[in-house]
Amino acid sequence: MSVAERPVEMAQRPVEMKPARPGIDWRGRALDRAPFLVACLMLALIVAIYGSLQSGVFSLDEINLDTAAAMTLMLAATGQTIVLVRGGIDLSIGGMISLGTVIAATRFTDDPSTVALWTLAILALGFLIGALNGLLISLLKLQPFLVTLATWSILNGVAMIILPTDGGSVPGWWVGFGYAQLFGLTSPVWMLLALLLFWWWFRATRVGVTIQATGSNEKSAFLSGVSITRVNVITYGLSGLFAAGAALYLTTQTGAGSPTIGKDYILPSVAAAVIGGVSLFGGRGHLAGTLIGAFVLTLIGNLVFVLHVSSYWQPVASGVILLLSVLASSVAEKAARNRVQ
Amino acid sequence: MDLVTVKGLSKRYGGIVALSEATFSARAGEVHALLGENGAGKSTFIQILSGAVRHDGGSILVDGQDYRPANPDAAQARGIAAVFQELSLIPDLSVEQNIWFRHEPRTLLSTVNRAEMRRKTLALLDKYKFPALRPEQELRRLTLAERQIVEIAKGLAKDPRILILDEATSALPAREAEWLLKLTRQLAAEGRLVIFISHRMAEVRAIADRLTIFRNGSTIAVHEANAVSDNEIVTQMIGRHLDRLYPERIATATDRIALKVKGFSSGSRLSGVDFALREGEVLGVGGLQGHGQRELFQSLFGASKASGTVELWGKPVSIGNPRQALTGKDGIALVPEDRRGQGLLLTKSVRENLTLSVIKRFTENGLLSRQREAALVKEMVDFLRIKAGTPEQLAGTLSGGNQQKVIFGKMLLTQARVLLLYDPTRGVDVGTKGEIFQLMRDLAAKGYAILFHSSDMPELVHVADRVLVMRNGGIAATLEGDRISEASILRAAMLESEAA
Repeated sequence: MSVAERPVEMAQRPVEMKPARPGIDWRGRALDRAPFLVACLMLALIVAIYGSLQSGVFSLDEINLDTAAAMTLMLAATGQTIVLVRGGIDLSIGGMISLGTVIAATRFTDDPSTVALWTLAILALGFLIGALNGLLISLLKLQPFLVTLATWSILNGVAMIILPTDGGSVPGWWVGFGYAQLFGLTSPVWMLLALLLFWWWFRATRVGVTIQATGSNEKSAFLSGVSITRVNVITYGLSGLFAAGAALYLTTQTGAGSPTIGKDYILPSVAAAVIGGVSLFGGRGHLAGTLIGAFVLTLIGNLVFVLHVSSYWQPVASGVILLLSVLASSVAEKAARNRVQ
Repeated sequence: MDLVTVKGLSKRYGGIVALSEATFSARAGEVHALLGENGAGKSTFIQILSGAVRHDGGSILVDGQDYRPANPDAAQARGIAAVFQELSLIPDLSVEQNIWFRHEPRTLLSTVNRAEMRRKTLALLDKYKFPALRPEQELRRLTLAERQIVEIAKGLAKDPRILILDEATSALPAREAEWLLKLTRQLAAEGRLVIFISHRMAEVRAIADRLTIFRNGSTIAVHEANAVSDNEIVTQMIGRHLDRLYPERIATATDRIALKVKGFSSGSRLSGVDFALREGEVLGVGGLQGHGQRELFQSLFGASKASGTVELWGKPVSIGNPRQALTGKDGIALVPEDRRGQGLLLTKSVRENLTLSVIKRFTENGLLSRQREAALVKEMVDFLRIKAGTPEQLAGTLSGGNQQKVIFGKMLLTQARVLLLYDPTRGVDVGTKGEIFQLMRDLAAKGYAILFHSSDMPELVHVADRVLVMRNGGIAATLEGDRISEASILRAAMLESEAA
């Protein structure tokens, strides 16, 4: 029988494979978001304790102050979140933050056009160094952990060469940016809103979806036509860009540069994301969670302060909270898996 | 005119030739089946066509134009889409996000237009009468069969001129498989070319216009589907093999049962496996890939869970983890499939690898006896003829065959006399293969009981005393004596599977 003679049977819909489950699967959704919900609960708990010990916690001033304190971490953690969703990790942000602050503190003058130029240069440098990380990871097929550990060390060294000790300065009006107000909210609060808006847009773009997909299953993404190299360049480039942004913001808070300050943000940026429900294995997580995680880590510092205990308790508390978050994620993950089977 | 013409296609992976001078041609509007044993080169061929892998030599013409896709994107741009056996879906995206991945309709803000995407999804699912799918559901909540259907939808979403279906029916229940076969005919009637790969002969018979048979990376024959018999096809798939590689098979099995397995089940992967392995016997485990062989070996070794009863040397045992499997003379030892990942510590020495799991044997009063260790290591290196400069050479620097010997040594030192060998000759050179087969027969003669899986069928035919053929997680046939042949194994694994 030739092709032409063969009768064509049109496909008919087979009997439903299983009864359709109408409505929204609330329990499944709650399980999916369990780590995020746990983070919200933790934040509420910390705020409640803090509020009961200190007056004026529930005020606009307090929101402005806490956001200002958390913003460097939030910016760094935004880049880290993108990298984690991709299934990688970026340790080099520590070096980039240090380098950014020392360049700003040594190159900024009172002339706004010089400042504008160097601001752009620092941001561009952040993106380029990040892109280089991505390129090295893809082309040399190296572990992100090792590549970014190496670039962290290199950037740190360069920062030391430029400015061996804490110092330098930025213009007073630049510092003023960090405290500028609009409608009673300071610039960090507006930046926070801008970050959320950015994420809402970014994760719905093709690039955002592709980064998430690559983190979820790299091989599948490749088979679907994704260029893994391009994804890595964009992912780590954005991380470097946000680290540079964090450095610039940090100089409005300190007024100076520091060749060693960046390391204080490397692991907290990962911790904030994990507390907020971002998976270390890639593919899952939202910036809202990360930002809540950053608030949790920052407010623990406040809490330790008002409790009048040694400040060394802060890392202890942060560690315990990190463990609780990881536990919540893994319990939710197991429950979700059991539901599928 | 032919839509696709392939000439002299070659592909090597290191020293392994995956395709050599393969040819292929197919027309628009036909269903063209691609047949061959595991490792015949089918997968490499479709990976090249779909842009996942680049070929080394030869030419491909699509529509008379040269075709050499740099990546899957370039393949799609030329109208070629593949439905992979190894699915290309993203677990954390929804069904519709997966279907339109990288081709999503967009809004003015260049974000994904969800409303438009939903509309297009429903239109697509309706056009081809897809089984019920919920577009918003996350992929990782779906069953394997549902995922396979999403993968098919993803392929069709690109409106391809050439659609490659790689074992697309193997994960589907009967009704859905039937739907897919009709869909395949419908697609051909629309003027597309469907390249169809399946191990189920009845399906190929039902829908293929023509079929091309691959063996050892080359094209053996092209037939009109109605002008060739099943037996001819099977014979051409197997071809002729040299059998000097194999040692003489002398029956050494006694009546004593070493390993008895009853009602062994694990989810959908293993269902009610029963068999008995005797002292001095080499019992082969065959069948098409992915029909429960891996699960059987892993469960027996305690590396994954299964229900049912297991008796070792007449005593019922329960093995919950590999540590319990390795209990001295009454235990079970495994040569795992992934030598570099599971079996060997590549950065440790031959000596350390050999003695890792038996360290107790050289410990006296809590102290390691170096002399006893050295003596045992030397004995094993000599016995297996492991070619290492010294026992301190790193395992990672040995050849594949010698690495496999170290794993054998490690297994023998546990003193277990029931041995599970999972594809022990994979990636091993021919000379060492012969040594391994001889070793297996020698061990059997010494009273060891050996369960032996190989993805290479001739090995089962020439080395095993009996062969269990697995199909859909159960034992489809037990072949003995003269009844063991490649054709009989393949027949039990394939042809009769339509009855199941």
